[in-house]
Amino acid sequence: MQSKMKESDPILEVENLFASTDNLPILKGVSLTIYPGEIHAIMGRNGCGKSTLSKIIAGHPSYNITNGDIKFLGENINSLEPEERAQLGIFLGFQYPIEIPGVSNLEFLRVSTNARRKFLNKEELDTFDFEELVKEKLEIVKMDHAFLSRSVNQGFSGGEKKRNEILQMALLEPKIAILDETDSGLDIDALRIVASGIKKISNAQTGIILITHYQRLLDEIKPNYVHVMSDGQIIKTGESDLALELEEKGYEWTDNFIKKA
Amino acid sequence: MKIIEKIKTNKSADNLTEIQKICLDKLQSSPLPNTRSEQWRLSNKSKFSNFLKYSVNEKNPKFDTPFPNNSQSTIRLVIGDNCQINLMEENYSIKQLSEEKLVKYIKEQISCFDQNENWSDLLNLSLNCTKNTLGLKINGSKIPPIEIFSHASSNSLNAKTLIIFLEKNCDIDLLQVNLGKENSSLSQSTFFYLEENSSVNHGVVSYGENKSNLLNSLNVIQQNNSEYNLGSLHFKFNYARFEIRVKQSEGNAKTNIKGMQITKKDEQISTFTKIDFNGPNGFLDQINKSLADDKSHAIFEGSIIVPKIAQKTDASQLSRNLLLSNHAQIDTKPQLEIIADDVKCKHGATISQLNEEELFYMRTRGITLTEASKLQLSSYFQEIISFIPISKDRWNLLDKLLNEN
Repeated sequence: MQSKMKESDPILEVENLFASTDNLPILKGVSLTIYPGEIHAIMGRNGCGKSTLSKIIAGHPSYNITNGDIKFLGENINSLEPEERAQLGIFLGFQYPIEIPGVSNLEFLRVSTNARRKFLNKEELDTFDFEELVKEKLEIVKMDHAFLSRSVNQGFSGGEKKRNEILQMALLEPKIAILDETDSGLDIDALRIVASGIKKISNAQTGIILITHYQRLLDEIKPNYVHVMSDGQIIKTGESDLALELEEKGYEWTDNFIKKA
Repeated sequence: MKIIEKIKTNKSADNLTEIQKICLDKLQSSPLPNTRSEQWRLSNKSKFSNFLKYSVNEKNPKFDTPFPNNSQSTIRLVIGDNCQINLMEENYSIKQLSEEKLVKYIKEQISCFDQNENWSDLLNLSLNCTKNTLGLKINGSKIPPIEIFSHASSNSLNAKTLIIFLEKNCDIDLLQVNLGKENSSLSQSTFFYLEENSSVNHGVVSYGENKSNLLNSLNVIQQNNSEYNLGSLHFKFNYARFEIRVKQSEGNAKTNIKGMQITKKDEQISTFTKIDFNGPNGFLDQINKSLADDKSHAIFEGSIIVPKIAQKTDASQLSRNLLLSNHAQIDTKPQLEIIADDVKCKHGATISQLNEEELFYMRTRGITLTEASKLQLSSYFQEIISFIPISKDRWNLLDKLLNEN
C-alpha cells in the first residue's frame, strides 16, 4: 500500500520490530513507514499492542526491543533516551495524561518547550516571552489561561487533559506526533476542538499517527493510511475507507486476515 | 556516663548552676537514652556516641549564616551572641525574661519531665549556661517576623535553649534556624507557651554541614483557642533527632504540623512527635515527609494521645516517605492512643519511590531524567516549604535542597 514513490525521505521507519516487557513478547514484527505530511491511523482490539508500540517509539524504559529497528530521519534511535527522542521531534500524546501534583503546568510547559528549543538551536524563552507564546497556542485548543497556574493535569477533566496534550504538541512542534486514543473520553464538541487543533498544528513536514478505536476521530481528520493491529502485528493496511469497513464489520472481520496470514 | 563526667570536668561542681545540678542528678539516675525504649530503639548508637564525643563549648563562634539578612522588617536574634532585646512599641512588646523567671519556669518544666522522653532536654539543660539561654515574653499585635538562630562551632558540643511565652491574643511568625558546623554537635531545646487566643506560625529549619549532629527538642503548651502551626525541615546532618511534644492543656486548640527530613549518604535523621490532647475539641492536622537516598536512614514515630477527657478531638497524622535508593532505609510508625469514645482520628503511612510514569511523561516532553526528578522532588518539598513562615523565598530553600543536597 505504501509502494508509491515518495518525494522525500521518511520521518519514521519501524522495521520488523519485536519488543517485550518482563520477558512477555508484546510486539511481534511491526513494520511501519511514515513520510512527511502523512496521517496514519492504527486501530485494533484492546491489548493488541497499539499503545505499547507508541510507548516503545517514545522510548519507555519498561520495554525491551528484542529485534528490529526504529529509525527517525534515517537514524537508528533504538538506544536513545525518551528525552533525546522528544528533543529530536517525536511527540507522544498520552491516552491517560499523567497528573503531576505540585508541578505548575506553566513551568512544565516552559521547561519542555525550552528543552526542544535548545535542541533546535533556538533561544530559550524566559517566563515573559513564554507567556506570550503559550497565550497564542492556548487559542488553538480553546483553553483558558487559568489552566496554566494549576498543577500538570491535576483536577483536569478528561477533555481538558487531552486538550493539554495538544497544547504541548503545539508548543513542541514535533516532526512526528503519535496520539494515543486522544479521542477517548471526549464529547462531540471537545473532539472537534482537539481535531481542529491537530489539523492546525500538522503540516506538510510533519507526520501523525492516530491510535483510535473510533471512526468519529477519522471523520474529523482523514488519514492517508489505516493499519489494523492484532496480537502485536499489523495484519492489514488500507486507505481511509478501511476504517469505515472496520466500523461496519467489527474486529471479527479482521480475524480472517490472521487466519490467512 | 561519659557525658556527665565531661560536664563535671568542664566546670567545677561549684560552678554548676542550680538547673545544671538538678538535670545532672536526673541524668545520673537514668542511664543514657535507653535503646530498649521505643523512642531510642532505632537510633544509631555509633552516631549517637559521635554526638557526645565533642567537648562542651560555652563560647560562641563568629556567627556565620548561609541565610542572608536583607529584610529590614525582620527581627533577627542569635542565641548566645550577647543577645539582648527589649522592645516596647505601640502595638506590641518583646521583653527578655529575667534569669530568675527563666530558672523558675525551667524548674517547673523539669518537674514534669519523663526521664526517658525528655532525655534530650535534660542533656541540654545540664550542658547549658545562662548566656546561651534566651527567654522572650511577647505581647501585642502587628509584631514583625522574628528569626532566631542557634549555631554550633566546629569540634564542639554547643547547647542552646529558647523559651517563648506568647501572651493572650498575640499573633506572630517566628522562624528558628539551627545551623550545624563541620564536626559539631548542637543541642537545642525550645519551650513554647501559648496563652489563650494566641497564634504562632513557627518554622524550624535545621541545616547541617559535613558530620554535624543535632538533638533538637521542641516542647509546646497550648491554652484554649490557641493555634500552633509548625513547618519544619531538617537536612544535611550526620545524625539529627527532632522531638516534638505538643500538649493542648485544656483542649479547644488547633495544631498544624508539616515537617520534612531529608537524608543522604549514611546520615540518620529522625522525627518523634507526641501530641497530647488534655481537653475536648482539640484539632490536629499533621503530615511528616521523609526522603531517604544513598545508604541513609530516616525515621518517623508519631503518637497522638487522646484520653477520656478529650472528647470531640479531630486528629489526623500522615507519614509520607520517598525512598530514592535501594540501600536507604525508612522506618515510620504513626500511632494513636485513644481512650475517649467520641473522636475523629485517623493516621496513615506510605513509602514509595519516584513515580516512574510521571518521570516518563516528563521525559517524553524533552525534560532530562535529572531535571524531571528535580521537578518531582520540588513538588514533594513544596507542600512543606510553603508552610515555613518568613524568608523562605529569599533563602531559596528549595534550590538548596535540590542542588546542594
